[in-house]
Order: sequence, then C-alpha cells, then structure tokens
Amino acid sequence: MVTIADPLERTDAPATRTSGLKDSRSYKVFTVLNIVFLIGLVLVTIYPFVNLVAQSFSAEGYIRAGEVNIWPKGFNTTTFSAVMSDSMFWINYRNTVVYTVVATVIAMVLTTSFAYATSKRHLKGRSFLIGIAVFTMFFNGGLIPNYVLISEIGLKNTIWAIVLPNAISVFNFLVMKAFFENFPTELEEAAQIDGLSTYGTLFRIVLPLSKAVIATMVLFYSVSFWNSWFSAFLYLDDKRLFPVTVYLRNLIAASTDASSVSAAAGDVPQVNANIKAVTMLLTTLPILCLYPFIQRYFVSGIMLGSVKQ
Amino acid sequence: MSTTLRRGAAVAAASTLTLTLMACSATDDPETGPTDGGATSADPGAYDGQRTAAMDEFGIDSVFKATEPIDISLLYRDHPGYPVLEDWLIFDELETNHNVTFSRVDVPLADWDDRKSLLLGAGDFPTLVPVTYPGQETQFVAGGALLPVSDYLDLLPNFTDKVEKWDLQEELDLLRQEDGKFYLLPGLHEKLRPQYSIAVRKDIWDGLGLSLEPATWDEFADQLRQVKEAHPEFDYPYSDRWQLNATLNAAASNFGTSAGWGLGQGVWWNGSEFVLTGATDEYKELLTYFNGLVTDGLLDPESLTQEDDPAIQKFVSGQSAAIGTNDQTVLDYRTALEEAGNTDFEVYHIRVPAGPAGDILAGSRFESGQMLNADLADSEHLVATLQFVDWLYYSDNGLEFAKWGVEGTTFEKDADGTRTFIGNIDQGGINPSDNPEPLNATYGFHNGVWMPAHGSTFDLGTSMMREEVQEWQAAMSTKEMQTVAPAWPLSELEQEEASILVTALNDQVTQNTSRFILGQRSLDEWDAYVSELASAGQARYLEIVNGAQQRAAG
Repeated sequence: MVTIADPLERTDAPATRTSGLKDSRSYKVFTVLNIVFLIGLVLVTIYPFVNLVAQSFSAEGYIRAGEVNIWPKGFNTTTFSAVMSDSMFWINYRNTVVYTVVATVIAMVLTTSFAYATSKRHLKGRSFLIGIAVFTMFFNGGLIPNYVLISEIGLKNTIWAIVLPNAISVFNFLVMKAFFENFPTELEEAAQIDGLSTYGTLFRIVLPLSKAVIATMVLFYSVSFWNSWFSAFLYLDDKRLFPVTVYLRNLIAASTDASSVSAAAGDVPQVNANIKAVTMLLTTLPILCLYPFIQRYFVSGIMLGSVKQ
Repeated sequence: MSTTLRRGAAVAAASTLTLTLMACSATDDPETGPTDGGATSADPGAYDGQRTAAMDEFGIDSVFKATEPIDISLLYRDHPGYPVLEDWLIFDELETNHNVTFSRVDVPLADWDDRKSLLLGAGDFPTLVPVTYPGQETQFVAGGALLPVSDYLDLLPNFTDKVEKWDLQEELDLLRQEDGKFYLLPGLHEKLRPQYSIAVRKDIWDGLGLSLEPATWDEFADQLRQVKEAHPEFDYPYSDRWQLNATLNAAASNFGTSAGWGLGQGVWWNGSEFVLTGATDEYKELLTYFNGLVTDGLLDPESLTQEDDPAIQKFVSGQSAAIGTNDQTVLDYRTALEEAGNTDFEVYHIRVPAGPAGDILAGSRFESGQMLNADLADSEHLVATLQFVDWLYYSDNGLEFAKWGVEGTTFEKDADGTRTFIGNIDQGGINPSDNPEPLNATYGFHNGVWMPAHGSTFDLGTSMMREEVQEWQAAMSTKEMQTVAPAWPLSELEQEEASILVTALNDQVTQNTSRFILGQRSLDEWDAYVSELASAGQARYLEIVNGAQQRAAG
C-alpha cells in the first residue's frame, strides 16, 4: 500500500520562520508599515459591515440624520422582529438555501466529472470538449434567446431554471482541470495496480486528495449561487419562488429608484433604512459564516495548479 | 394552351386579390366602428365569437360584470411598500362582483422595466401590462407584440368619453406611431398635476416680511438676496437637490423653454417648426438667470453635483433656507427637522413663479397606462377584456373603486361627496390613528397597477391630498397651459438614427448647462457653444424631426 502525504500538510510546513539572525532595520520598518497597511485595509473592509450592524439596531430617525456610524443609536430590536415576521422573507430565504444547496451539488458533480475526464491527456476529442467550454466564456446566445430556450423546454418557474443553466462555470472548470492535470499519475497507476477501476480511482484516491480544490470550488459556487438574482429575475414569475436576493433588491430599489418607477403609484416609496439594514444583515450572514470553515482550504486551493512540482 | 394558362393565372390573381381585400376589410373593420363613446351594443354583428363573457350593454355608466367568470393574465408590478397578498379585498371584490380573476406574473418593482422589456422582447407576456409610461411602448411596436388599441376605441366608451370631455385629443395624437395607430392606453388626468417647486423656510421669510408667493423668478432672487444679507450665517441661502433638474424643469416653461428633467427629446416647437431647445435664446435666458444666482452667491454651486442627502442635511441643519421639493418631500423635511430638534423651523412649498415668457405651466396630462398583448385580437375574450380595462381604468365608478375601495367597507361618502375612511384604514396619513391599516398594503386598493393617474378626475385626484397640497394645486392651476407641440412619429429606421443623435446632443446641452450656470464657461461663449451643437448633428436631427412632423401633418 502506498502511503500518501496530504498535499495540505506539505504547503503548511514551511510556515514557521527560523529566527537565528537579527532582523534588519529596514525589515522591521517594512513589517510595521505592512501591519499598519493591512490593519487599515481590514478596517476599510469591515467598516461597512459594522455600520450595517449598527444601523440594524438603530432608530430610523438617527440613520436618516446620518448620525449612525459604528455604534447603534436609539437601540432597538423591533426592526428585527418586524423583518422576521414577514413570511415572504422566510419563504424566499428558504428558496435561497434550497437553490444554493441543490445548485452547488449539481455544479460540483458536473464540474468535477468534466474536469477529471478532460484532464486525462489520452482522452479522444479532449481539446474539442475543452474548446466548447471555453467558447462559451466569450460567446453566448444572448438574453432573449436564452429566455425563449428555457421557457420552451419547460424549465420556467421551476428550480431547474435556476440551478441548471449555470451549472458549469468555465473558470472553475479550468482551475479544477489544472489541478487534476498536476495530480501525480503515480498515485493513480498504483491504485490501478491494486485493482481499482476508473471510478474507484476517482472516488477513493483522487477525490479524497482533492479536498482543497473541492472546498474552494464549493465556496466559489455557493457564494455565487447565494448572491445571484439574475436567473430568478429572468425565469421566475411567482414571488413565492424568488430567492431572498430578489426580495432584498426590491426593498433597496424602493427607496433609491422609486422616483422614476413608482411616481404614478401614489405610494409612500420609502422603505426604512433600518429595515434594509436588517434584511441585508440576515441575507449576508450565513454565507459569511461559511468562510472561516473553508478558509484553511481556500488559500492552498486557489494556489493549486499554479506551480508544477 | 397559353390562353388557358393566362386565364388560370388571371383567375388566381383575382382570387388572391379578393382574399387580400377581404382580409384587409376584416382587420380594418374595427376602425370604422362607432367611436362616439356610446354603448357598444349598436353593432351586434361585430366581434363575432369574441364576445364571450362580455356585457351586451356596456356604456359610460355601466359597472362591468362579466357574464361568466373570466381570467385575465396580468403582468403585476410588485411594490415592496405593499407586497401582493392573495387575500386582498380587491381580488375578492373583483371575483365576486365583477367575475374577474387574474393569473399574475409577479415582477418586483426593482426589475420592472427590465423584465417587461425581456418578456415583451421574447413575445411571451400576459394580456394586460400596466404601469407603462407614454413613449415606453414605442420600442415594442415594430415587433408586433402589442395590440393597436386605437383600432378598438369603439369598445372603450369611457376612455373616448374622457379624452373628448377633457380635450385630450391633441395629446393623444402624440402617441400615434408611424402607422397612425397608438399602442398604449395612457392614464388620463383631468387637470395637470404639477408637484415640483421650491421649499423655503417660512419663519425666515415671515421674519423679513417677504411674500411666500414671489410673483416672478426675479422677485425670488431678490428675496434670496435679502435673506443672505439678513442671515450672514448661511453660506448660500439656496442649496438645491436632484442636481437642480427638478427646478430647471419647473422654471423652464416660464422662460419659454424646457430644461432639466423636462429636456426630453431636446426639441422645441417655435410655432412653425422644431428647433433645438438647447440652442434657443430662451434657454440662454434661463441659464443666465441661474448663473446670476450662483455669481451672486445665492445658489450653492454644489447644487448641480451633490446627492440629495447632503442637500437635505444642509436645509435641515439650518445651513440653507431653500431647497427643491415636491408635495411629498416637504413632509420628509418636516420630519427630519423635528428629529433634528429644530422645531421652530417652518417649511413652505412656494408656487412656481412666473418668468419672462409668462406664467406658464408645462407638462403632460398623461400618466403611466396599459399595454395589451396583440394575441387578444384573436381571443374570444377580446370584448370582455377591453370592457374590463375601460371600466377599471377610465370609468368614474372603476376609478373610485381602485383608489378608495368599496363604499361601505373601506370608505364612506357623505352628502356633498366627501369620502372618509372607515375605522382605522388609512392612506398616506390622512386618517391618523394608533394602529393604522394602510389601504394599499392591507386591501390592495390605491395600487399603481390598477390606479393610474391617482384616480384621473380632479375630484378623485385631490381627494386624498393634504389641505396644503390642495391649496398649492389650486394656486398652480391659475397658470396658463403651455400649448401642445404637434406630433412627429418616427419610422423604425429614423427612430434608431434619431436616438443616437439626440443622445449626443442632449449630452452636450446638459454638460454645458452645468458649466454655464456654474460660470465655468462664460455666457459670452454662447455663440461658440451653439456652433458646437451644429457640428454634433443638429441639422440632421432637426431634419428627421421636422420631416416626420410634416409627414404626420399630411
């Protein structure tokens, strides 16, 4: 039996720096500047989130007066209970979860199998298959033909209209293919000698060793499906089928774009800023929580395939 | 043999011709039908096979009730302020008393225009498409997806009656496409409903003894000057929002031109032909006025660039004394003032002053309206659907139903016709209570999908307005109406060329408008600017527009 080193451990190994020599002065300056710069960057990145959290707990009046920055003013949780009591929000939220999970599973199965197959150089018609995929990166049928196609094959107003049309992202496919191409052939040969079939090799040797790239792809796919609203906009007619992103878009548009769209309606178009903040917070939270769990794979995953060993 | 052949060909040709003529007369028939707005029962033979569920007698005072249940597919604009609910009273009422149900395609407000374009472009859309502004239908006409509603005016007695009664025929002709038909049923206003003007600080105006109804724009400038002198704490007494576009639009008609949001297609009818608005002397006069305000330090130069929020904050925090407004935003200012603790500030929405050209009000009396799917032309429900549309959107009864709901359930009417809400039902704060039930969110009435033009008639249109707004409307109604320019419907090719030209021209005009007002470009360079426009395709654009006008005038 071959013993296999997890590729992750290899990349983690040289992390500790040997500190026998004294750091040079310029290196110290560099480190300090580096830290200051990175902290600044973190602050700039985090501020909008903190502001959003502060707004979601603040009273409407303070937000409109522009007084809420990083700390809530007029603290209350009534907005949270108001948003959470809207059944449509939860229906759409559930849709988003379902769409994201189903779409990610389908996308992973298709992308992995396509990438693994085309990574084998002995595959006949390989460059043709890759060519077709790459072609779609640059050319597509256009909005209306796509719409007509999806509705003609009866996918409109079903989950399949959301999860099937974008099942393979060509970029993700190329990254995965590169990873599989660099996978040591010795391992697969050894597996074959030990009597594994092609599928056996894939499922018992290749995939367990590809956790890094798989985790990365899962993250890429799930974030993009979670955030996507465009397919829903195109193919769904019933608001009970909408993902929560469409719900959120509508809320935000009501206050920013209302002058042109709803002037005739005679309505009060303002949706309160704190309601928007709460909805945004609730919408982004789950996908934010995904990052810490996948991050350890993420760094090595995106690097994979970039260096040949 | 050659004779036989020739004879055969002649017979074939003749029969083709007959068929064509028959086909023509079949499709043209509706146009020759009665268009006098009377009951449609006059011609019982017409629309054979298309009268399923239709009323036999449908006229101006009729309340539509389908003779058998009818389902109409509807592109529904879902507003987040009142998300659609299945159990809305309006659905119940329509089903029980009018035999109408809807198959809805829900489109969130945010994507309304895009989704509409997509569905109409793909030719896959419901029968009834509401909330469409005049002009938006033009792009879909060539595709043949829309019903030429002008062919069916005999089925729309209320619509034709109001057009005639309110003298809207000229404006309606502007909607005609190159084929002479129109494809949109616009929402109609009995009287123009202006909204935009300037909000001033009443406490300051009163303190200085200034009139709250400045008669002219020059008087308004004088007032600002006095405010600046008396209150040196203001950097600028007037800081505007909407990048000044709303104010330019409101002011322009009084200067004999159009500008800002009203620039539109960039052409101005001078009585005999169309000229480029931005190149006229009147336009220059308007710019000279606003440039004067900036030069004298009365108008904040940031007015042309700042977002709305900073402008509002300046006004609310007492850094400026005047700001653009409409009849809704004036309430926002008051709320914001209260929240900021400046309770001694008072806000007043002034009447738009007169200008060098007179005391003139411009604008269209059309609101967003409805388009219909061309498939309806062959539907058995043609007559019933059009009767329903005519009743709901254009009859006094239907308009009241859409705006106020059901008499006795949501509202009551006293002897002199004043309507009041029942219980704690409310719309826009006119029936304040501890636990208000918004009419639109709870019951589905007062909803832009079924209520274009706020109820159309002057009575309904003002029925939910605050007293202050009613007074302002009354003051504005003494203005003279701007004459309607003649129609210039373009062919598809012209449309394409014209839209490219006008984009470039309007860009030039708006850019230079800002520069002239801010003084970045001196008004001495006006002639140079006009010749720049000439080289940006002005001549070709005017040629297309004037050509189309002459063609339409016949």
